[in-house]
Amino acid sequence: MADEQVVRDRDVLQRSGAPAPAGKYAWPEKPALLSTPIKRLDGPDKVTGRARYTYDINRPGMIYGKVVRSPYPHARVVSVDLAAAQRAPGVKAALVYREPGTQVMYQGDPVAAVAADTEERARDAARLVRVRYEPLPHLANVEQAMAADAPQVFPNGNVRAGARDETGDLAAGFANAAHTVDQTYSTHVITHVCLETHGCVCEWDGEKLTAWISTQAVIQSAQQFAQALGIPQSNVHCITQYMGGGFGSKFGPDAQGIICAKLAKQANAPVKLMLDRKEEHLDTGNRPSATAHIRAGVSSDGTLTAFEADSWGTGGAGAASGFPLPYIYNFPNRKRIHKDVYINAGLQRAMRAPGHPQGCFLTEILMDELADHVQMDPVAFRLRNLPPAGPNAMWAQYFRDGATRFGWDKRHATGDPAPGPIKTGMGVSAHRWGGAGRGSHAHVDILSDGSAVVKCGTQDIGTGTRTIVAIVAAETFGLPISGVKVEIGDSTLPFSGGSGGSTTAASVTPAIRVACTDALDALFAKVAPTLGVQPADLVADGGRIHVKSNASKGVSWKDACKLLGTEPIEVDGQWQDGLSGAGTSGVQFAEASVDIETGIVRVTRILAMQDCGLIVDKLTAESQAYGGVIAAINFALFEDRILDRVTGQMVNPNMEWYLLAGMSDVPTIDIVLNNMPERGVIGIGEPPTVSTASAIANAVRNATGATIRSLPLHPHKVLAAIEQVRAGGTN
Amino acid sequence: MKSAGVTSIATAVTSVAVPDAGAQIGPAVLGPGDVPVALTVNGKRVDLKIEPRVTLLDALRTRADLTGNKRVCDRGTCGACTMIVDGRTVYACSTLAIEAQGKEIRTVEGLSSGNALHRVQQAFCDVDALMCGFCTPGFVVATVAVLEKHPNATREQISKGLDGNICRCGTFVRIMEAALKAQGVARG
Amino acid sequence: MKAFAYVNPATEKEAVAALKTDGIAMVIGGGQDLLARMKDYIDSPERIVNVKGLDATIAATPDGGVRIGSAVRIIDLFEHAQVAKLYPAVNAAAIEIGTPQIRNQATVGGNINQRPRCWYYRNEEFVCYKKGGSRCFAVNGENQYHAIFGNEGPSHIVHPSSLAVPLVAYGATFRLVSSAGEREVAAADYFTRPTLQNVLKENVLEDEEILTHVILPPPGNVKTGHYEVRYKASHDWPLAFTTVVLAMNGSTIRSARVVLGAVAPVPWRSKPAEAALTGKPLNEATAAAAGEAAVSEAAPMSGNAYKVQIAKTAVKRAVMNAAGLKTV
Repeated sequence: MADEQVVRDRDVLQRSGAPAPAGKYAWPEKPALLSTPIKRLDGPDKVTGRARYTYDINRPGMIYGKVVRSPYPHARVVSVDLAAAQRAPGVKAALVYREPGTQVMYQGDPVAAVAADTEERARDAARLVRVRYEPLPHLANVEQAMAADAPQVFPNGNVRAGARDETGDLAAGFANAAHTVDQTYSTHVITHVCLETHGCVCEWDGEKLTAWISTQAVIQSAQQFAQALGIPQSNVHCITQYMGGGFGSKFGPDAQGIICAKLAKQANAPVKLMLDRKEEHLDTGNRPSATAHIRAGVSSDGTLTAFEADSWGTGGAGAASGFPLPYIYNFPNRKRIHKDVYINAGLQRAMRAPGHPQGCFLTEILMDELADHVQMDPVAFRLRNLPPAGPNAMWAQYFRDGATRFGWDKRHATGDPAPGPIKTGMGVSAHRWGGAGRGSHAHVDILSDGSAVVKCGTQDIGTGTRTIVAIVAAETFGLPISGVKVEIGDSTLPFSGGSGGSTTAASVTPAIRVACTDALDALFAKVAPTLGVQPADLVADGGRIHVKSNASKGVSWKDACKLLGTEPIEVDGQWQDGLSGAGTSGVQFAEASVDIETGIVRVTRILAMQDCGLIVDKLTAESQAYGGVIAAINFALFEDRILDRVTGQMVNPNMEWYLLAGMSDVPTIDIVLNNMPERGVIGIGEPPTVSTASAIANAVRNATGATIRSLPLHPHKVLAAIEQVRAGGTN
Repeated sequence: MKSAGVTSIATAVTSVAVPDAGAQIGPAVLGPGDVPVALTVNGKRVDLKIEPRVTLLDALRTRADLTGNKRVCDRGTCGACTMIVDGRTVYACSTLAIEAQGKEIRTVEGLSSGNALHRVQQAFCDVDALMCGFCTPGFVVATVAVLEKHPNATREQISKGLDGNICRCGTFVRIMEAALKAQGVARG
Repeated sequence: MKAFAYVNPATEKEAVAALKTDGIAMVIGGGQDLLARMKDYIDSPERIVNVKGLDATIAATPDGGVRIGSAVRIIDLFEHAQVAKLYPAVNAAAIEIGTPQIRNQATVGGNINQRPRCWYYRNEEFVCYKKGGSRCFAVNGENQYHAIFGNEGPSHIVHPSSLAVPLVAYGATFRLVSSAGEREVAAADYFTRPTLQNVLKENVLEDEEILTHVILPPPGNVKTGHYEVRYKASHDWPLAFTTVVLAMNGSTIRSARVVLGAVAPVPWRSKPAEAALTGKPLNEATAAAAGEAAVSEAAPMSGNAYKVQIAKTAVKRAVMNAAGLKTV
């Protein structure tokens, strides 16, 4: 699923300024609930363990599936022999997935599958599947793929031309540059590491399939099941009440889901097939790498003049690796040529702000280097070179306010002069994101007992969607949160899109608002005659329906609903323009200390200045911001998908050597959310993760005086950079 | 030995062999097939018939429908499976069910009673110390264990006590707030 | 994991008897290493013998030392006041092991005998020397976490035990039992430099032997220092760590034992560092010199030269720690 493509399409449809007039649907000027901190509805279920994730679904008669995968990065499948597996104890089904004569293109590529009555026996049986492979030449990294004598592993070549962009007069730009920086910057491949691995439970009833699936797109998953299995969409029912993390990697059944459904059909029993941690690292996507050889010029007064980049990256075996470059700042003369490089590794999938953390890093380190050339403070330098300010381009304000709040004036010039082995520094970075929404439907029932039920085929992937649906409904009805019931996470509910691109809040909340407003109008139509007024005279708040100018002239919500008798109010609503917006901006500051005798970086403080239009739930929005920052700390320092350069196999497909921050690694994090109600609802899931790694890298540079131009900031790089500076003066 | 007729006793006596020095005296060999395993979980007895290779985590999740604690890394590195056994946190994925017999096992399910949340659970909800929630049961159990050992735990003690747990959504900041709040001491 | 039979012996005699079986039998202590290896099919014993029922006590010995049962849990080792007082480096190492959950289950014997963390060893796809193969993949591969000393080969692992280093530094011995009887091996002799003949193991423990006790001699009047460098603060394997034990003559170092961890296939005793300390005043300059000396014989691999600097720092700061000086 190309999140960036989705986002671009939606950006085209959305204006970034104030939304169209929304009329009667407009968000309230003085909301009771919106933008306040509201506790997550499913908190109690999650903290008690009552919440049932896909991994927890236990169905009567359920058996367990296990996939057999290629250990080779590139091979021809010669034969697949299921016989011994089929005879193994407890085995109920087995299938070949990769036909003999075809190729596997990465370690972990699925080849066959079995299902047995216990998980242990399924694993035993999987190991009895006899696959004969003919290993073929493989590419373990970008250098191997791009080498002049590289084996041409991929049908149309190992390297494919990507985006190309040229603006202005590059030669003139460099001619006007007083200083030029000519360096290579890069970021690395990371995997999503969803704590709940990918997988599903499939159960057939004749030709009807129910699939509990860990997904960010319950409706799209149902559509994909139907297409892959050749059954009508209306035969497929996907359920995701809770899911344990997606981060962009869970937008359909994937191979394992279809395999699960087929095993279930063959065995005539429900099958649970959840990937294990190794499979999760190998075959559920990754953030592609990004490298750019950049030449950039700045005039003596600190104005950027020129930017030229050759960039490339790998998204694995045949997938793209694009990212925006340059990022944010105004380079009037620029040229950029990108290439996608294919290697024999798992294919990339959208990962939290696809392309932006990469483009940001490749630009922001350069910016500090250029700032040093003209001896300007990094914040002042950035202020000088920003695109024009706007509601979706608030960097100037965030730089200024953030600098004050962070204590930026205490920052020393590059290279901490303090004695001792611990050097401290500060860095900064800016980012943007789209986050627009559209296209969701919703349904509302108001029943005579006062129940208000809101239904939408969206899903809560940990973001708090369930809660913001309730907030919008309760706000509209003038009820407390407890007065509305929310039904989501089911593909039979009204249409909604997948949760990606930070589009869910902006897609779903307008649909809820419209449906609830229209439902309320229908209720007003019932109540008005009994009060001897017109429906337009009524308002709902504080659990009552009353005349606008006379609060005592009204009825309680419950009494109003009694008027419905046996015929409930049932209203469908759809997203419409005017309630959501697009385009967010943010700035982050980082402070880090570096032990120059060990090369170890410790992040001590982060400040995130972020907007997201109208904040629906302040509590869950802040959690998104904390989460994005911590994800980026991992990107900056710890996690790394490491392939053996000779065999092309992943050496750390676990959570031991695939490093992730723990409590003691997390710094003080200060989140400042800028509520912009006039812009409508905009997403926040991704923007806060874009800048942090760059700000940290700049803090490390400020601390040590040594520039590290690639992630992660592992001690070996820090020590090498420090040594380079010590030996040669600069690096 | 059941009582039997004289004839059979005589037969039995004469057929009793002299114990062989190499005979299997000593501890029983259990498995590899299913064996009875009796666990005490949240104060209740859970009787299973499972292979010795089944971990405590898998035994409870797949044979006792106690799915609160999760399987994430299955290698003792992430803490999602954290349970309290005889008063100490363990990785249930790295514990054999057969070896958890005779011990007091507490899972996340045992912390609340009815709809009443444990104060740690309530604190997690109050400060939003969770997002997707998959790491949450493990963190809740680990936090309970920290506070049971150090009722007035400092930030450092909480950090060290929770360093065996990982969150991918990035809820650490609020988990720390929740742990401090659950002591009943409001922190700024 | 492959299915296995499980035996729960009550005595040492029963335990060694249980190891005698057709097929492969292995002991299980805390299970924090064995179970993971089995899940990755690095080991698939047909029988597992529980040794947690063996001696799990810590007792004073007549000569003023300490005798630690191999079944003692790491957390109990850490919380033992006498061990902390007499052997501070053992205490300092114990609390750095893993995480609270690991320390609650892992045993002293298991920590000493755990297998390497090398990612080629731990991944089934790589059939290396330690699994009966004929190469070490670290040589031409990803060796950033591998050895910087003792790199003659064939194996380039770093020994994974945190306790091994202070135990070697304090001159511990290990009691081993088998059906043939018992023996005591000095910790310094227990861990084996890899050769083609012994590469399947990291120590002298025979297949049917069990390590039952760690015996520590009285420490004497020494200053101890211990310093660990790890990347993640929360849960990580160390990049390099050091125990130094200094016998003092006033403020001068009379003799020293310097042992490094996570840098070689065995706990690495550094004679150069010890020479650089002997007869010197215990101060920062001496500490720095010891660090330099310790890495003078370093022979890093293609991707781990950075560990030389880290090992140097670990030695320097361990000596400063022994001196009671602030390390950073």
